[in-house]
Amino acid sequence: MNYKELIERLASQTGHSQNKTRQLLGEVTSVLSDQLSEGKSVSIPDLGTYGTKINDEKKVYNPHYDAYILVPPKRVVDFTPSSVIKEKMKFLETSDE
Amino acid sequence: MSEKITFKELVELIAKQSNQSQNSTNSFIHELVGIIEEGLKKNGSVSLSGFGKFELRWMKERAGRNPQTGEEITIPGQNKVVFKPFKSLREDVNQPFANLESKIIGDDPDASKPAPKAVPLAAASSVASTKGDISIDDLLIEKENPRFPSAPVKKKPPLTTPSEEKLAREVQEKGTFNWSYAAAVVVVLAAFIILFFMMQRSGEQTDIAPTADDPTEQVLTPIEPVIEPDEQAADDDEAEPGEEIEQTSFETASHSLQSGETLWGIAESQLGNPYLWPVIYYLNLDVLDNPNQIPAESDIEIPSISDPDNLNEFEREQIALGYFSLYEWNRANNPDEARYFLWAVGVFSPDLLDQPPSQVDPDDLTFARNR
Repeated sequence: MNYKELIERLASQTGHSQNKTRQLLGEVTSVLSDQLSEGKSVSIPDLGTYGTKINDEKKVYNPHYDAYILVPPKRVVDFTPSSVIKEKMKFLETSDE
Repeated sequence: MSEKITFKELVELIAKQSNQSQNSTNSFIHELVGIIEEGLKKNGSVSLSGFGKFELRWMKERAGRNPQTGEEITIPGQNKVVFKPFKSLREDVNQPFANLESKIIGDDPDASKPAPKAVPLAAASSVASTKGDISIDDLLIEKENPRFPSAPVKKKPPLTTPSEEKLAREVQEKGTFNWSYAAAVVVVLAAFIILFFMMQRSGEQTDIAPTADDPTEQVLTPIEPVIEPDEQAADDDEAEPGEEIEQTSFETASHSLQSGETLWGIAESQLGNPYLWPVIYYLNLDVLDNPNQIPAESDIEIPSISDPDNLNEFEREQIALGYFSLYEWNRANNPDEARYFLWAVGVFSPDLLDQPPSQVDPDDLTFARNR
C-alpha cells in the first residue's frame, strides 16, 4: 500500500479531508521522529514499540580496498512489533507483491 | 536504555502540535494502526512518507529447540513484521554520531586490537573519558556538526589533484581516533610512495599517481574531504580555457514540487550532486522562504548544470550565493548553525567570502575562513 492509498483509506475512515489527513499524519510522524531523535522510546498500542539503540563501532573487511575499515558507532531505530500484530500476520497468506 | 515516554504523552505532544483534541488524535492513531494492518494484509507493505515502511518478511521454516525442555522442534515458516526507517529518519536518529567517519585501518585487524575501544555511550551522555585515549566524545566536540543532514559540512570533492602532503595532513587532522590507525595509514602511504617511484623508474609514462592515490584518499575522507581553495582555483584555470564561454545565466527547467520532495533530493536526482541544492534555493527565493520547508504544489526553476564534478566559475558563484542566502536565513532563524553555511560559501567561492554581498558576523567569518 503506498502513501496515496493510505491517505485515501485513512481519510475515508476518519472523515477528514485528504489534505487534512496528510497534514495530521505528517504531525504524527514528525513528533515520532523528534522523540526518536532525542533517544526516547514509545509504544503504540497494537502496533509496536519504537525506540533507538546504538550499534557499536565495528571492523569490517572491504574487498575493494583489500583492507579493514573501522565503521563508527551508529544510532538506529529499533522497532519491535506488538504481539497483537505479530500474531495477526504470522500465518497470513501473502500474495507477495 | 532509551528513556520511555508513554503513549499518552505522545498523544499529548501530537495533539498540541496539530491543534487537535487529544481524543481525536488518539482515535486518529488507532485508525492509522488499523489501516497499517489492513495494508500489510493486503499488500504486505505500507509506507509512510518521510518516516518509514512497514513490511512483512517471510521467515522460512527452521529447526529450533524448546528452551525449557531442550527438545528439538521445527519452527514453521511465518511472517515477521519489520519496519524500515527512511533516510531522513535514519539520519535524524543517528545525529549524535553523524560526524564520525569510517576509517581505513590497514590489512590486519589484530594490529589495532590492543587499543582500548572507545565507548559509544560516552558520546551520547557526554561522560568524560577516564582513559588517556581520545574518545568519541572528544571528537564530537572537536568537530561539531550542524543538525541538518543536508548541511554543507559533508562536501563532496570537486576534482582536486590528490597530493601526498595533503594526504598526510589529512591523516593528521582526522587520525585523532586512534594513533595506531594513523600509523597503519602511514605505512600504506609509504607503500604507495615506493610503488610510485618504482613505476616511474620502470619507464611507465602513464598517469598512475591519481589512480594509486585514489583508494586511500577515498577511504580516508569518505565524507568530509578538505578542499584547498587554491588548488581548486588552479583547476578551474586549467579547465579548457579556450572552450569556456562566459556564462551569465542558467538554462532552467520548470519543476512542480510534490509533497514529500526535498531540495536535497531534487539536487541529487537532477543536478547529480545533492550538495548543490542551494543553487535551486537561490534561484527560487521568491517561492521558497524556509529552506527546510518547501511548499508543495508550487513551481520552481531547476538550473541545468552540465558537469557537477567540474563546475565553471558562474555555477560556482551561484552555488556560493545560494549558500549565502542560506546563511542569512539561518542567521535569522537558526543562529547556531549559520556559520557552517558561510563556510560552504567559501568552499565554492573564496572571492565571495572576501566580499560578502551583505553584512556577516565577524565570528562566523573567522570560522568560515579557518575551518
